[in-house]
This record gives sequence, C-alpha cells and structure tokens, in this order.
Amino acid sequence: MTDQLSYPDVVTWAVPFFMAAILAELFWIVIKGRGGRYETRDALTSLVMGAGNVGSGLLLGFIAYGFFMALWQITPLDLGTAWWVVLLCFVLDDLRYYWVHRFGHRIRWVWASHVNHHSSQHYNLTTALRQTWTGTFTFMMLVRAPLILLGFHPAMVLFCGGLNLIYQFWIHTEAIGKMPRWFEAVMNTPSHHRVHHGRNARYLDANYAGVFIVWDKMFGTFVPELEAERPDYGLVRNLGTFNPVRVAFHEWVGIFRDVIQPGLTWRERLMYCLAPPGWSHDGSRDTSEAIKRKHLSRNPQDAGTPGFPAPPDGPVQN
Amino acid sequence: MPLAVLLPLVVAGIAGIAVLTYLLGLSRPAVLADTAAARAAWCREFPDDAPRRVVLSHDRHAALVETATGSGIVWPMGADTTARYLSGARITRTATGLRVDLPDYTAPRIHLALDDDEARRWPTLMEASA
Ligand SMILES: [Zn+2]
Ligand SMILES: [Zn+2]
Repeated sequence: MTDQLSYPDVVTWAVPFFMAAILAELFWIVIKGRGGRYETRDALTSLVMGAGNVGSGLLLGFIAYGFFMALWQITPLDLGTAWWVVLLCFVLDDLRYYWVHRFGHRIRWVWASHVNHHSSQHYNLTTALRQTWTGTFTFMMLVRAPLILLGFHPAMVLFCGGLNLIYQFWIHTEAIGKMPRWFEAVMNTPSHHRVHHGRNARYLDANYAGVFIVWDKMFGTFVPELEAERPDYGLVRNLGTFNPVRVAFHEWVGIFRDVIQPGLTWRERLMYCLAPPGWSHDGSRDTSEAIKRKHLSRNPQDAGTPGFPAPPDGPVQN
Repeated sequence: MPLAVLLPLVVAGIAGIAVLTYLLGLSRPAVLADTAAARAAWCREFPDDAPRRVVLSHDRHAALVETATGSGIVWPMGADTTARYLSGARITRTATGLRVDLPDYTAPRIHLALDDDEARRWPTLMEASA
C-alpha cells in the first residue's frame, strides 16, 4: 500500500540554502577577520566534489534504490508512516550512519570513497559539500538493509538520510565555538566534528557521529576538542593536487596499485582492500594506531589523555 | 528540484563563490616565513624524517629539503602546503622555473617558480641527494 510513498528530495532543495550559508560564512570571516579560512581553489574543488556527488547519485542511485525496493518486497513488516515512525527511522538511520562512517575510516575499501571528504586542509561550509563520487562501490547500502527489513519504507529511510546530511552541513565551520552544554552533550556540533576532521594523532578515528554524538560516547570513540590542541585539518599525508578527478579516485588507484604488486599472497592482497588505511604487508606505512604509538613515544605525557590509550601498567615502579 | 533549475543554479553558484573568493584576495599561495616554517611544513607530512638541510626559494613559496632518506619538496597547496620526496622525479626547466613530474597519483606535477640561478642550481641539489 505504501509502495508509492514519496518524500521531497531534501538535499537538492537545500542547495540554495547551502549557497546562502556559504556566502554568509565567507562574509563573516572577511568582515570579522576570524572564524575560519577560505581559499579559491580549495573551495572550488569542494563545491565541484559536491556537485559530482549529486551527479553520481542521479547516475548510480538506482542501484541502491533497486536493492532497497527488493528488500521491501521481501519483508512482511510495514511500520506505516506515522510521525513517530519517521522519528524512530531518523534516529536508527543515524545509528546506521555512525557505523557506515566508522567503517569508512577503518576499512580501506570504504575509506577509498570517504577519504575525499577529509582531503581539504580547510574547514568551512564548503568542506561539508566535499562528498564522495564512489559511495555506491563501497556496498555500504547493505548497512541499511535491517532498517528496511524492519518495515521502514525505503523512501522514508532515504528521506531521513537526506535530513541527516543536511544537519551535518552547518557543523563544518570554525565560526561557531561551542554550543550550549546540553546541546554539546547530545548533538554532533562544530566542535565535535572539527575533532573528526583533525589529522592530529590525538584526533584520528574519533567522533564518527552524524547527528547524535551519543553514539560515539556509547561505542567509545568520543574525543572532546581540547582548548590546548587545535585540530590541524586534512589527511595524514596531504594531497598535492586540486584536480577533482584525482581527489575522487586517488585511494582507489592506490588500492589497485597495491593489490597488483607482484609477489604478494592472496591474504596480503585482500588486506590491502579491507585492512585499516595505512596497513602494508611490509610495515612500511603507518596506520592510525602506529601514528598514535609514535606520538606517545615522542610525548609520553599524553598517554591516557583524550584520544590516546592509557599507559599499559600505570606508573612504572622500581 | 527539476534538473533544469538545479543545474544552472549549481553552476552559477560554484562560479560565483569561486570568483568572489578571488576578488576578496583569498587566492594567494602559502608563504613559508623562514627555513623553520619550511622545516615544520615538511615534518607535518613526514614527522619521522626531519630535514638535515632546507633551501628556501627566493619568493619563499617553496623549499628544497634534504633528509637522511633523500631529497624532497615543500610547495603550496593554495593557502596551505604539502610535501613529497623526489624519488622517481622527472625535472624539466620551464620559462618560470622548474616542473617536477612525480610518479604519484596524488601529486603528479609541481610547478616551482624559481629565478634563473635557482632553476640552474636546484636540479643538481635534487639529484645529489635523490
Ligand atoms: Zn570521516
Ligand atoms: Zn565532515
């Protein structure tokens, strides 16, 4: 009965709002002389990546949608369209986002798609629009399967996912310091998400939340933004090109080159696809764990502070 | 939103924001204040391999770096910088300095603005330690 359910395509309707907000942030920064930075080619690349993301959705969106509709045909459950169902769907889809995002940083195959969102050394509202072109190839639509099998209509799930993305737009700014305490405690905020974009050893692999920061607190990945350590934005190894095609595909090319190296075992080839970014068969590269370990060997006083594991046996006794 | 509205809106919006940042003077490439800044910019990308020697370009937009592992370049990425080793580099003289082609998909080509003297000297420094 609800097969024909349709919701507005919220992300494209938000485009004029995105542009107005970017202009407002840009003028705020220029007039106040603080609150962030803009640079022409960086902003241009981010915006082109955003447009390409919408384009790839138009071209490839049918794959995920077809998959969801197939699941919808199978499931005997239909939760209907009451407001509280939409609300529940939004919350559960945000949990789905947390895990997809966490996989996006911990599985190189998924990172290959997500990396471009982190490829800017800036952090402003255009960075929010620096989105992947290759999301379909990560197969992360699988993580949405339980929602649809539980009886949430695919159109509702996609509507909630769109709202989730729109929420995340405004948190990509340095113009806002901290929100009120209760808000920082429950919601993802500019402060929490700045940490997520930080390439500092302390801030790697933290704050995967979309809308509700509580998931990071529940699953142990929350790191607060420290007054004493400003996030340094970008990748552990920053790109040397603004070319959107290279930004979109560089990690896929990296995987391909690693996998076809002669002399590897099949397990090693698989690990180059599925292990955390930075894994290598000969230990010549650093994962985030190695980066944190090296940081602690240079700065042992940081052990046990936010973002770093505690020293193994507490204080050394002699 | 119909594509016939979305497409022109997106194209005009992107072009408008890019032109605006340019007119506001937000297109200037990064400047390395001194050799210490160049050293820090290198260590930001390669924290385990500190430079033994740093040569700043005359306009301080780029630096040639020598480490225990080999030589490398620090250069501007817009208002920021990045860095790469020069292993496998092909270096060509251009009208404005040097062009460095790297076997690196994430940094395929670096244009260095150098004066005549630098453009003559840097390739030998690059090779000496590569
Ligand atoms: Zn991320
Ligand atoms: Zn982000």
